[in-house]
Amino acid sequence: MRTLEVVELIRKGNLSIEESTHKVIEEVKKLTSEYNYFNTIAADTAIKRAKELDAQIKKGKKSGKLLGIPISVKDSICVKGMESTGGSRILEGYIPPFNATAVQRCLDEGAIVIGKTSQDEFGFGGFSVNVGVGYKVPKNPFDKTRTCGGSSGGCAGYTQKTAYNQLSIGESTGGSIVEPASFCGIVGLCPTYGRVSRYGLMDFSNAMDKIGPMTRTLEDAALLLEVIAGFDSNESTTINAPVDSYTKVLKKSLKGMKFAVIKEAFAEGLDPAVEKHVWNGIKKLESAGATYEEISLKIPIKYGISTYYLLGTSEASTNLAKYCGMRYGKQDKLEGSFNEYFTKVRSSYLGEEAKRRIMLGTFARMAGYRDAYYLKALKVRTLMINEYKKAFKKYDVLATPTVSILPPKFSEIEKLTPLQCYMIDVLTVGPNIAGLPHLNMPVGMEKGLPVGMLLTADHLQEGKLVQLGSWLE
Amino acid sequence: MKFTTDIVIGLEIHVQLDTKTKLFCGCATKGSEEPNTRTCPACLGFPGSKPVLNKRAVDYALRLCLALGCEISPKLIFSRKSYFYPDLAKNYQISQYEIPLGLSGELRLSDWKMVGITRVHMEEDPASLIHTKSTGASAYVLVDYNRSGIPLCEVVTEPDMASPDQARDFMKRLMTVLSYLDIFDEQTCVIKADANISIKESGYVRSEIKNITGFKEIERALFYEVERQKIAVRSGEKLMQDTRGWDAEKGMTFHMRAKETEADYGYILDPDLVVTEIPSEWLKQVKASMPELAEDKIRKYVETHKIAQLDAEVIAQERKLAELFEKVAKEVDPVLAAKWMRRELVRVMSFNKITFHDLLVDEKHLIELLSMVEKKEITEQVAQKIMEELVVKPFSPRQYVEKHGLKRVAETGALLKVCEEVIKENKNVVEEYLAGKEKSFQFLVGQVMRKTKGAASPQEVNELLRKLLKSKS
Repeated sequence: MRTLEVVELIRKGNLSIEESTHKVIEEVKKLTSEYNYFNTIAADTAIKRAKELDAQIKKGKKSGKLLGIPISVKDSICVKGMESTGGSRILEGYIPPFNATAVQRCLDEGAIVIGKTSQDEFGFGGFSVNVGVGYKVPKNPFDKTRTCGGSSGGCAGYTQKTAYNQLSIGESTGGSIVEPASFCGIVGLCPTYGRVSRYGLMDFSNAMDKIGPMTRTLEDAALLLEVIAGFDSNESTTINAPVDSYTKVLKKSLKGMKFAVIKEAFAEGLDPAVEKHVWNGIKKLESAGATYEEISLKIPIKYGISTYYLLGTSEASTNLAKYCGMRYGKQDKLEGSFNEYFTKVRSSYLGEEAKRRIMLGTFARMAGYRDAYYLKALKVRTLMINEYKKAFKKYDVLATPTVSILPPKFSEIEKLTPLQCYMIDVLTVGPNIAGLPHLNMPVGMEKGLPVGMLLTADHLQEGKLVQLGSWLE
Repeated sequence: MKFTTDIVIGLEIHVQLDTKTKLFCGCATKGSEEPNTRTCPACLGFPGSKPVLNKRAVDYALRLCLALGCEISPKLIFSRKSYFYPDLAKNYQISQYEIPLGLSGELRLSDWKMVGITRVHMEEDPASLIHTKSTGASAYVLVDYNRSGIPLCEVVTEPDMASPDQARDFMKRLMTVLSYLDIFDEQTCVIKADANISIKESGYVRSEIKNITGFKEIERALFYEVERQKIAVRSGEKLMQDTRGWDAEKGMTFHMRAKETEADYGYILDPDLVVTEIPSEWLKQVKASMPELAEDKIRKYVETHKIAQLDAEVIAQERKLAELFEKVAKEVDPVLAAKWMRRELVRVMSFNKITFHDLLVDEKHLIELLSMVEKKEITEQVAQKIMEELVVKPFSPRQYVEKHGLKRVAETGALLKVCEEVIKENKNVVEEYLAGKEKSFQFLVGQVMRKTKGAASPQEVNELLRKLLKSKS
């Protein structure tokens, strides 16, 4: 059943939210014990809210686009009164005193938050294996020996696995929505930077972080984006532009739509099975009425990873400085000087990858290196945006595979160097750095594992992604 | 830079701006003194919180830049200054780095020396640290975040001052500018300075004295430091660059740390605060709202009111005095008003330890008093006495003069009568005078003054008495 239909049943009072929420929570518990999709399961809060909503509906008082619909939220996005740690031990016990704007907007439309999903600590990874100290790694819904992708791994795995109409709110800095979506065979829609407020999101790289929908269907993603997008006076980087009706452009004719296939993305290292399925997707779009050309777009793939890691770690190393065991989260016995104390707390409760990125970022912005690394990366970002903008003068959308490979086994990931791990994002960092909206659509299964295709549009052109993507479902 | 003066001083001054709310959140800057009550997730650095710029604070900072004749940056850019300290909620301070709001201004001292302003930038105040015992002796410090996020303007001067007195004068004049601009509340806002100082004898080896509060302390601290450096050089010590503290109680500076290298703050742009153009419309509005400053007033007083330069300077440097003067000068001869207000009023106030802030003198009363002086209805002696009482409590000088019969006693009439009376009553003394004893004459004058309660001009009494006595000899 479509989510819209479920909402309609609930609104009419034909479906008890309390009953369905009980079922959802049972499933979440079961899946989490098996697949580690949630860091926090908010059973009591969710049931209580379900009862309240049922009562309000009975009185004819409640409506909303997401009435009674369960939502799961990436752990790094704050939910008032619900432990939110960003997947890090250092924030153990932190209960945010406010809702992230995206969460609040869902609640305003009648949604129920069921819990916080597992992820790489603070978003630092592409396989969800860089979890916080003592946290569990989420497993791929199609093969438990493989990764869900990351960093929004819990969102992706759970969304694939659940039997219920559920929407997940993920977050991407360099590919953390579309990459796990691709590995788990779901829809991931990462909006334009500034389209969805970051208020309430624990910062990784503030200039690149984006909150976006991770759902089973494109209609669900469009619906969720309509709810969470829009200007927010609490967040200075949100865009003050009207929010389009994304659900209205589903299956709209592709006549006149022109997209480009980026040649550099089909280079060495691309799994032939991935290549095959992505080309099938391209042909599908062509037969639905769109035209395409193959073009060259050099900067994003050539310089994307280095630019992304310089900017991302520079910002991350300042963002993580506040976690020092003082005002919230994990605290230790007060001993020694301030420096000794916070060093001990950070050494004990931050994971290896977080420490690596703090060191990389601190180095990149040090006097003497700042010009060569941080400031140069800012310039490359501008060049990259310009190259994309030029392409969008001719084409509505750009197409590539989302990831070059099928979801790898954990045993394979263990053997990778940090740099090889970073390369997993090679196709997704470009649009993320440039703040461009991008969408993962599942385009086929290979050896029982999903393959995804990445569509990227110009700023604020999420509608084009939905329009095009809907012909791939 | 090549220095030539015996002493070289440069200042970095932090001014708290008198806004209602903090720089990046809606918390009040004043109110409850109860620790940590004027706080929110933003100024406590909670995960997920985001800064939102207070436009009023930028308005105030722009006023200061304009008043100091700075070039205004076309863009508003904030950076993160990273260092770990318990008073910093985020372990970085939002400040301005590469491109400050204002560059290359100047401020004139009383001795007409121009002091260059290197830059004026905005930043957030850290929290305050409360030491339960003296620094170092306490096992812990308490942190009060009420101050965290209060807007500051930092004014950096060129090393243009050649004496502690000039540094004090600079601070005083800066305070005057702040007072005219209405951006600083002397009663509640804090102004602090770091001073760089070196002397010729050491080859200009610089010490930086941190955190000196108030303009009188600046002079004391610098005076001490000059002497310390001189004595050190004379005794053969080789001075090293260092950072020093100022102990106001002991009246001494003390060594804090050697300054071998510049601290590395790893500045990056603050990605939560978008780089914005300062619209010319905005700048125009701020320019239009600029009040008349001391320099404008001095020019006006000298050119249109024909007042002595020195009187004009003294009056214009005190905003309250200047405002009072301008009201009085509409009714009374400005030259007379200037003379009386600059000398008598200021003298009487300092005798009574009254500051301009708690001065209660009503301009109506001052006008009454000075117009009586102007019309020679009372003597200067009487006027001085009335002034002495007027600064303590308000009353009508005209009624007071009438009630106490203090009207000037003129030659023809009452004064002549009093003189004749005195001569009649003091025959012996008159004879002594006639016999050549000059002292006796002073006694007679004193008697007349006593009888007239000072309402006679001593000069007139002198002349009149001599005339009368001459006729007797």
